[in-house]
Amino acid sequence: MKTRTEALLKSLIVLWMTAVVLAGFLLDIPRISILEHTARNLYFHVPLWFALMAAFLVSAWYSAKFLSTEDLDYDVRASHAAMVGMAFGILGLVTGMVWARFTWYVGTNKWWNNDPKQVMAAVQLMIYGAYFVLRSSFDHNAKRARVSAVYNLFAAATVPFLLYVLPRQFQSLHPGAEGNPAFDEVTDPVMRLVFYPAIMGFIALFWWIYSQRVRLTLLERRLENE
Amino acid sequence: MNWLTGALAVLEKDVRLELRTRYAINTLLLFVISALLVVAIAVKNEPLSPSLRSVLLWVVILFSAIAGLSHAFVSEEERGTVLLLQLNAKPSSVLAGKLLFNLMLTFALNSVAALAFWVVIGFQEVDSATLIVILALGAIGLSGATTLLSAIIAKAVNRGPLFAVLSFPILVPLLLSVVNGTRSAIEGAGLDTVTSEVFTLIGYAGVLITASTLLFDYIWKD
Repeated sequence: MKTRTEALLKSLIVLWMTAVVLAGFLLDIPRISILEHTARNLYFHVPLWFALMAAFLVSAWYSAKFLSTEDLDYDVRASHAAMVGMAFGILGLVTGMVWARFTWYVGTNKWWNNDPKQVMAAVQLMIYGAYFVLRSSFDHNAKRARVSAVYNLFAAATVPFLLYVLPRQFQSLHPGAEGNPAFDEVTDPVMRLVFYPAIMGFIALFWWIYSQRVRLTLLERRLENE
Repeated sequence: MNWLTGALAVLEKDVRLELRTRYAINTLLLFVISALLVVAIAVKNEPLSPSLRSVLLWVVILFSAIAGLSHAFVSEEERGTVLLLQLNAKPSSVLAGKLLFNLMLTFALNSVAALAFWVVIGFQEVDSATLIVILALGAIGLSGATTLLSAIIAKAVNRGPLFAVLSFPILVPLLLSVVNGTRSAIEGAGLDTVTSEVFTLIGYAGVLITASTLLFDYIWKD
């Protein structure tokens, strides 16, 4: 029964994402100078960030749950959320870099511009990188789980400071930053029609990949124990 | 034994052991002085802008701290004295004692770094009060962030590089604030211009020390 609902959900996500991609490339959008057709990246770049944020919350939540219950299943969940989140984060970072390079910084040859959101994402990816290096230096399961959960939560405690410090020290061209119109002032209704479903779709995609990986690891563990 | 006497006993033990070998303090100070000399030699006599000078100072401090501060818990593991400490002191006392010891080290590190920087590269018209406040708050933040990480890596196998990998992302907010504050100080601006940095640094140290006390028990018990 459970596998059938999961299969149904999977097909739903596949259809949904196909519709998002098709609508993202085919629907007519208003042309803004400089942005032109690159505005379509809004459907991919921004939802990838939402997926990273979801992954960050899921991972921190399960790390805390692991520490309070010592149940190793939660450790599996926390690490897979971080792993899948990292993949989404790298894609979000790359789509953002390419987008900015050919719009905001066209002619300057700049790929990296220390935009607050860019730095924020890079630091979060560094944290997850460190988290996996830390995990790989233990061979004892329970010890690895405990130590990496502690590091995950400790690192999460510094994120609010980044959110506070970065926008004050770096200039941003992101919509909503100082001197720039916010997202809803510039976005055409047609674009929202795709953008909101894209956010839902990417978060669902994250959740699906993550839950499949968790399932696989839990099954492997069970086979090992039998 | 109550919490405070326990913490002070751990601190006293560490200070005494340190005075016997002077390993941590010598590593730290030699590292910071040689790094600054290398920077000064490489820079030659180029004029450096205040922001560049503040970046150089803090990058050197950061790397020295990462080279020397992992000692706190790693030394216990190497000497095989963890069990003894677990039996004789409360976890919170151990953390507080180690934190105080690291705080002493970072204060020494920052003072020596600033002095050496002043000698070999120079601050020019620096506002010393602002510089001292930023250096002190930076030291508290550094030790607050690295003490728990030192306890984490003491449990792992390849400790040296791991400490750096774990510390860098966590120290980014600290680094940004202290670099900004130091730049203002080197430009000769008064304390009132760095209030935002001061509050950020106080908050950062407060949150990380609180998080350390909450999380330390999970690391310490085996």
